[in-house]
Amino acid sequence: MTEATAKPASTGAQGLRSRKQASWLLQYVLLQVLIVMLCVLALRHPLSEPPQPTRVSAFSLNDRGAARSVTLPDFVVSRFSMNDPAVYRGSFDWTKDDAARAWSVYLPRFTNGVEVIVNGVAILDSRRDPSANRPDRATPEIAVIPASLLRDGANDLAIKLYVWGPVSGFLDRVSVGPDAVLRPYYEQRTLLFVTLPMVFSAWQGILAVILIVLWAVRRHETAYGALAAAMALGAIQAFLPTAVDQTAHPELSATVIASSAPLESGFVLAFAILFFGRRWPRYGPLMFVPGVLLVLIGIFGNPEALRQSFVYFGIPGLGVNLVLLALVVAWSEVRRQDVPSLLLGCAVTIVLTCWVHDMLSLLQVIPDHRLFFTRLSYSAMLAAIGAGLTWRFARALNQVDGFAAHLVIQLREAEEKLKASFAREEERARVAALARERTRLMRDLHDGLGGQLVSIVALSERGEGGASVGDAARAALKDLRLVIDSMDDIGGDLMLALGSWRDRATAQLRPHEIALDWRVTSPQGLPVHPELRPWHVIQIVRILDEAVTNAVKHAAARRITVSIETLTDASGASSGCITVADDGKGFALAPDGAAATERQTARGLRNMRSRAARCGAGLELISGPGGTSVRLILPRRFPDGDAAAG
Amino acid sequence: MTPSTDELPAGEIRVLLVEDDPPTLWRLQDALTKAGFDVVAAATLAEARASLARRIPLVLLTDLQLPDGHGVELIRETRQRFPDTEIMVISILGDEESVISAITVGATGYLLKDAFPTDIASTVRDLVAGHSPISASIARFIVRRTQKSAEPPPGPPLNTTRLTPREIDILWGIAKGFSYAEIAGHLGLSRQTVPGHIKSIYRKLEVHTRGEAVFEALQQGLIKL
Repeated sequence: MTEATAKPASTGAQGLRSRKQASWLLQYVLLQVLIVMLCVLALRHPLSEPPQPTRVSAFSLNDRGAARSVTLPDFVVSRFSMNDPAVYRGSFDWTKDDAARAWSVYLPRFTNGVEVIVNGVAILDSRRDPSANRPDRATPEIAVIPASLLRDGANDLAIKLYVWGPVSGFLDRVSVGPDAVLRPYYEQRTLLFVTLPMVFSAWQGILAVILIVLWAVRRHETAYGALAAAMALGAIQAFLPTAVDQTAHPELSATVIASSAPLESGFVLAFAILFFGRRWPRYGPLMFVPGVLLVLIGIFGNPEALRQSFVYFGIPGLGVNLVLLALVVAWSEVRRQDVPSLLLGCAVTIVLTCWVHDMLSLLQVIPDHRLFFTRLSYSAMLAAIGAGLTWRFARALNQVDGFAAHLVIQLREAEEKLKASFAREEERARVAALARERTRLMRDLHDGLGGQLVSIVALSERGEGGASVGDAARAALKDLRLVIDSMDDIGGDLMLALGSWRDRATAQLRPHEIALDWRVTSPQGLPVHPELRPWHVIQIVRILDEAVTNAVKHAAARRITVSIETLTDASGASSGCITVADDGKGFALAPDGAAATERQTARGLRNMRSRAARCGAGLELISGPGGTSVRLILPRRFPDGDAAAG
Repeated sequence: MTPSTDELPAGEIRVLLVEDDPPTLWRLQDALTKAGFDVVAAATLAEARASLARRIPLVLLTDLQLPDGHGVELIRETRQRFPDTEIMVISILGDEESVISAITVGATGYLLKDAFPTDIASTVRDLVAGHSPISASIARFIVRRTQKSAEPPPGPPLNTTRLTPREIDILWGIAKGFSYAEIAGHLGLSRQTVPGHIKSIYRKLEVHTRGEAVFEALQQGLIKL
């Protein structure tokens, strides 16, 4: 968000931005300091211990031939041998009055392995417990002493402490007493240091599966790939067997366990860099160097070298990665101020604090009971990662919703624009159609009405009144009706236009006492032509008019027959045919097809042919002594443009 | 007051002719008088009303465009006051606009101004005999209004909801140029019943009262409340 507002901003705004960032950074750092203080308080808070009477503190230690008396807790120098354990010898009192209750030996903390011997009989060997063999887990041990072993009075207690470096040997205060008294303390520690880490590891496994799926579906999100690798590694190492002498591939397990922490921290750091949108640094691969080194040593070196290397590479590598992670997250928090970076930042601070605590404990700088918390505190990081990813996911869903809403708005706007442009286009088309219709109307009026009116004027001027003026005027009116009639929408059914024409023709023929026979061969008459336009209708009607006028004026006919039929050819296509036949005297046709008898007739025939051609119709003229027949064969499809009309 | 028209000789048929153009008036009057009709002429709406007040004609022939008003008013008044008078509109072109608007107020026929004298007389005689003339283009206009379309077609409003399918078939036949005999043949009717159907069609297209006109305009979506 800050990026978006900063881009067009001036230097003043940038200054404001950096001041804002500085104040944010201060707040963030103060929050982390508070978290460190809370962590230290929690770490310093002592765990509850069994009551004083059960403690066995005075021991004589026999270590590498030298004997001395010691008080627990006690440290033993680091070594790599399992054959000469340090032996602590002490004693505790038991009376027969206690025979009703079971007695136990409780060891809250030791590194690395213990064997407990009561009155010369071994009752516990921690090296068979895989959890206890992990020095990073403060696994407690408890063993019930068989009643038959106990003697009234003083009993011998010997503890063999096995050490397999690099961590120095450690034995915390041992308690011997009634099982009912000791067990709650044991259970409390088991819950904290064994069960909880197992639960977190299981959770890490689930997280690994989710992230692997996420990464498999979205390959370009390498950040999730890196995090999936970290989670998978963490989950696998937690469940690897570590029981001494019982593992199938002890070297492999040891390698994985030793390299897991530095490698895992490297992957988490890589995830943070990619997730928070930083460019992948040129020296990025260096963060994996300690882990890879440990893997190589594990494969090619011996277990002792691996353990030694873990101290020199693994633990510092982990620390360096944690510090870098804290810096990356802090940078992201200052830049973005979002929930995932804040959560992860706090988690990193907790882990880092615990790591420092563990370092100090390992180096025996602080008086402590040698409890390592780094693994445990790592669960805070897992929680932060889970919460951060969920937050990111929810925000992405919100963004999708917002995007959809935005899209709906845009769609509506586009729709409105389209509607407006469509209306404009429609208006333009309407205006164009109107102009076309006006042109056509003018031409039709010019062709018919205009000429007839002019001839009326001419006849009147010559003083020829009476019948010819009346005929010309009547013809003009008839043409006017035709033009008006042709403007009506007849839905492509030429029969509707012919119906009106029949009315007019009948009225025209009545004074001449010529009968009009109307023969329609089928009830529906002619095929319907959706492409039929008014100008087609006018041309066809004028052809029919011309044929009727010729019959009246020149043929001296008594009867005119109009036949309307639908012709169907071999292919099944149908076309209309209108025939106007009279019983007049006919006329001779010149070889070129034009009439030779009268000039006017010739002009009339020429007009009929050109009108038929403009409509794509065929015209057949047969004339003989028995009469004249004009046969108009309509096209299957009327032409669109009036090309021949010019 | 209501003579049986079929038996009346032409001389007994009183015609009120309302036409403001003198030559047209002379022409029509001549044709009708020669055919033996009793013709009373009027050139304006006022004259026509005065004439109606004096004596009720059997036939009213009126032009639509009159100097002091519209022929439609005269037709409506006459139709309401004298239901037995046959009314015809005189039209130059026989176009739908004038003829349909006359039909909706009560006219049952139309006459072209340039019709031949014999045709003028026979049309009036047919009308008196109960035969309303109808042209193919008027029939076409009416049947196209019976077809359902998304937007109201241009032209005067017309309510065709009361027409029966048979009447619509007859109108289709006329629109396509078939004769009464052919229509009767196609539809299995008697030829003589066709003119009666046509008069019935005219009557059904008439809008009787003001209230009904509003109701029908509402039904046709011409008025929005």
